[in-house]
Amino acid sequence: MHRRAHRALLAATLATMAAAASADSIKIGFNVPLTGFAAADGTSALKGAELAVEQVNARGGVGGKPLELVVYDDQASPKEAAPLAVKMITQDEVVAGISGSYSGSTRAAATIFQENATPYISAYAIHPDITRAGEYVFRTSFMGEVQGRAGAKLIGETLGKKRVVMITLNNDFGQSLAAGFKEKAAAFGIEVIGEYDYGIKDREFGPIVSKVKADAPDAIYASGYFFTAGPLVSQLRAAGITAPVIGQEGYDGQKFIEIAGPAAEGVLITTSLDRDSTDPVARDFMAGFEKKAGYPADMVGASAHTAVLVMASALQSAGHTDKAALRQAIAATQVDAATGHISFNALGEVKKDVQVQVVRDGAWHRHSVISDAALLAPPEK
Amino acid sequence: MLALDLLIQGLVQGAIYALVAVGLTLVYGLLRILHVAHAALFTLGGYLGVLVTNATGSFALALAVAMGVAGVAGIAVYRLAYRPLLGRSPLIALIASIGLFIASEEAFRIIFGAHGLSYVTPPLQAQIEIAPGISLSLARIAVVVLAVVLLSALGWLSLSTRTGVAWRASVSDPPIAQAFGIDIERVRHLNFFVGSALAGAAGVMVALLNNLVEPTMGAVPSYKALAIIVLGGLGNVRGTLVAALALGVVESFGTIYAGHLLDRDAIAFAFLILVLMLRPQGLLARS
Repeated sequence: MHRRAHRALLAATLATMAAAASADSIKIGFNVPLTGFAAADGTSALKGAELAVEQVNARGGVGGKPLELVVYDDQASPKEAAPLAVKMITQDEVVAGISGSYSGSTRAAATIFQENATPYISAYAIHPDITRAGEYVFRTSFMGEVQGRAGAKLIGETLGKKRVVMITLNNDFGQSLAAGFKEKAAAFGIEVIGEYDYGIKDREFGPIVSKVKADAPDAIYASGYFFTAGPLVSQLRAAGITAPVIGQEGYDGQKFIEIAGPAAEGVLITTSLDRDSTDPVARDFMAGFEKKAGYPADMVGASAHTAVLVMASALQSAGHTDKAALRQAIAATQVDAATGHISFNALGEVKKDVQVQVVRDGAWHRHSVISDAALLAPPEK
Repeated sequence: MLALDLLIQGLVQGAIYALVAVGLTLVYGLLRILHVAHAALFTLGGYLGVLVTNATGSFALALAVAMGVAGVAGIAVYRLAYRPLLGRSPLIALIASIGLFIASEEAFRIIFGAHGLSYVTPPLQAQIEIAPGISLSLARIAVVVLAVVLLSALGWLSLSTRTGVAWRASVSDPPIAQAFGIDIERVRHLNFFVGSALAGAAGVMVALLNNLVEPTMGAVPSYKALAIIVLGGLGNVRGTLVAALALGVVESFGTIYAGHLLDRDAIAFAFLILVLMLRPQGLLARS
C-alpha cells in the first residue's frame, strides 16, 4: 500500500511539473513528414524549425517564455494532417501552427486552422489554394506560379535562350511552375518546342531524354525535386545533351549535386536561399544548420526556419498569445530571415526576391537575383 | 531514329522489370503467394550495391554481395514470414508481405537516412555509340547484358539440371513431386534464393542508372511487378519475360506520346487492362 501511494504521489508530482513546464512555454504546432516518401524534406524542415526555436530561446524566448514546437509526423498525407491539426488546436492548445510539409497535407490542415481561427504558416508548400483557406493562413515561400514566371525571365532574358523544352513533374508543384512559366514565356520571347510530363515516382527518364535530344533545345526548364532532378540531369548529360538545365527550389540541396555529380555543374535554379549571402541572419542560419544537421543547408530547412522566425517576431510584436492579435501581427510582418526580407500581401502570400543559384565546383552559389516586383507579385485573392 | 532510341530505352527498362518480376512469378508459381515484399529485396540489393562499391571500389564485388545477401534474405523472408502461414488463406500471407514491405522501407530510412545514398564515383558511365546518333551508357548496356546472362542461366538451370526438373515438378504438381521423393522444402529455399538474388541484381543496376538508392525505391516495383506477372499469365516465367519487355517498350513510347494524358503507371495499367480484355489468361499462358 505504502509503495503504491508513494508511486501515485510521484506520478502526480511529475504531472504537475509537466503541466507547469508547458504552461510556461508558447506552443507552436508543427506538422511535418518524418516517415514515408517525403521524409527527406521533412527531416530538413524539422532541423530548420528546431534551429530557429533554439536561437529564439537562446535570446530569452518571446516575452520571457520559451517557444516549444509540438511536432507531429503527417507523412505528407492529407488524411493524417487533418486530425493532427484538430489535435494540435484542441488538445495541445497551440497558439499557432506551421506546416513543414507538402501541399496536400498543408491544404488539409490549413482549412482546420482557419475554422478554428488559429494562425497557420506554410513554410514551403506551394499550392495556390493553401492561403485561400482564409485570413489566418500565410505562406513564407513562393507560390509555384511566381517561381515559374521567374524561370521564364531567367531563361528568356537573363540567359537569352529562346527554344525551350519543358520537363514537368505532374503534381501540383510541377504543374503550377509550368503554368507560371508558360504565362510569361511569350513575353520573354520563349518558344516552348516540347513539353513532357513525368510522375513523382519516376527516376528513369530514358525515353524523355531521347526525345529531348531529338528536339535539340536551347534550354531545358525541368521541374522536380532533388530525387527526380538528380537522376534526370545526370541522364540528360549522359546522353550528350549540353543545353542549360533550369530548375527550381525542389532541386535545392546538396543531395542533388551528390546524385548528379559532375552533371550538376552549371545547373541553375530559382530558389529562396542565397548561399553567398552576406546577411548575418542567413549566414547564422547556414552555419547553425550544417552544425545541427551534419549536411549543408537547403531550401526546405531555410523555409521552415523562416516560418518559425516570422511566427516568433509576430508573437513578440503582438505582445500576447491572443490568436486574432497574433494574426494581425503576422499580417504586418517585416522580418529579415534566412530566405530574405519577409512581408505579406492581402492574401497572406510572401513578397520577396527570387534567388538564382548555380552549381559551381560541387556547391550552390549565387548566379543572380530577380527582384522584379511586378513579375513576382503573388495573387491578392 | 527516335523510334529506335525509344525502343532501346524501353528494352533497358523491360530488362529491369524482367529481373524483378521473374522472382515474383516463381514464388507465385510455387506457393500461390503474391510476394509484395520481393521489392524490399530489390531495395536491399540497391543499398548493398552502393555501400559495397563505395567501401571497396569494386562494382563486381558489390553485385555479387548484393545478389548473395538478397538471396539469403529472401530465404529468411520465406522461413520467418511465409512458412508459418502456408496452411492458411493466401490473403493472410499477402497482408504479412505488405506489412513486411512497409516496415522494410522505414527500416532503410532509419538505418541509412531519409535522403538516400549515391555512388561516390558511379561506375560504367562511359558512352558508347551503338548506331549513328544513338549512344548508350555502359551502365544501360550492362543492364541488358546482365539480364540476358542471369535469365539464360535460370533457363539452363530449370531445363537442363536435375534440380531444375525437381523445381518444375514442384511447381506443376507439389503432391506428386513429393511422392517422387523431391525435397519440396529445398526447392522452396532455392526458389526464394534465386528469385531474390535476381531482384537484388536489378536493385544494383537501377541504383547505377539513377545514382540514387532511397528507402522507397521499391514502391514502384512492388506493384508493377505484380502487373507484369498477371500480364504474363500468373506463374508463367516465359510469359513474365515477354510481358516485362513489352511493358518497358509500351511505357517508353507512352511517356512521349501519351504522357500528357497518362503517367507512366497509368500507361502500364491501361496496357494491362487492354491485354486482359483480349486475353484474360495473360500473354502466354494457355487458357
